[in-house]
Amino acid sequence: MTKEELLSKLKIIIVPYVQNQEGLKNLTEDTDFIKDLEINSANLVDVVLDVEDEFDIEIDNDAMEKMLTVKASIEVIENKLASK
Amino acid sequence: MIGNDIVDLQLASKQSNWQRRGWLQKIFTIEEQQCIKDSKTPETLVWKFWCMKEAAYKAHQRRFSISPKFNPKNFECLLDNKVRIDNHTYTIYTEATTEYVYSIVKKVGIDYYSKIYDREIDLKYNLKQMIAQKLNISLSIAIEKDSNRIPVVHIHKKETDIQISMTHHGRYSAVVLVTG
Repeated sequence: MTKEELLSKLKIIIVPYVQNQEGLKNLTEDTDFIKDLEINSANLVDVVLDVEDEFDIEIDNDAMEKMLTVKASIEVIENKLASK
Repeated sequence: MIGNDIVDLQLASKQSNWQRRGWLQKIFTIEEQQCIKDSKTPETLVWKFWCMKEAAYKAHQRRFSISPKFNPKNFECLLDNKVRIDNHTYTIYTEATTEYVYSIVKKVGIDYYSKIYDREIDLKYNLKQMIAQKLNISLSIAIEKDSNRIPVVHIHKKETDIQISMTHHGRYSAVVLVTG
């Protein structure tokens, strides 16, 4: 899976939780889920669970704590996919 | 250190499905999950624990200048309204109604000022007014976030050690302030 494919899949996952649509228009690797997209912190759990379902991976506590930005989430997904 | 968090229970029940498979397991320890399972009002307890964890997270993050992390499970709710992270324990003051849950973390014995708003307001503006009144000053007050996104109060362009925490969810906002 290329990074672009991964990013577009991640974007589809986060859309339902985004409260700041402007942030979504300017989505980059540096986008922060809480600061830029105003995703409610309790919904970060849903993002993590959706990522697990979509990519068929398991995200442990140590990986989850990093998943606050697009970039960090992509790294976590790539690592978990590589060790599958 | 100081930290607060508010949960609008109506909005929370719309935004989150706490019964979703895996959801509780990602946030709560085995003991917390058991308490929720045994509770007569499990949903209220879910948000009470969540609120306590979030308030403790903010206080802990401020105390040790920790960069943002999403690690709610590491903040363990204990009996007697305490939350433990690593070898640190925080006492939480929680107020729960049928509409919201509000938690504050502060040092024991320290005077603080806290206010909950149930309407749309400019939280920063209100907080600045509050600081000006408490300190009886009219100098320019600014609230900036540091590199860890912890709010810091500047008075006349100088950083102060006034501790603040702000929270907003749905219909509710709250601020807590310790002037030292």
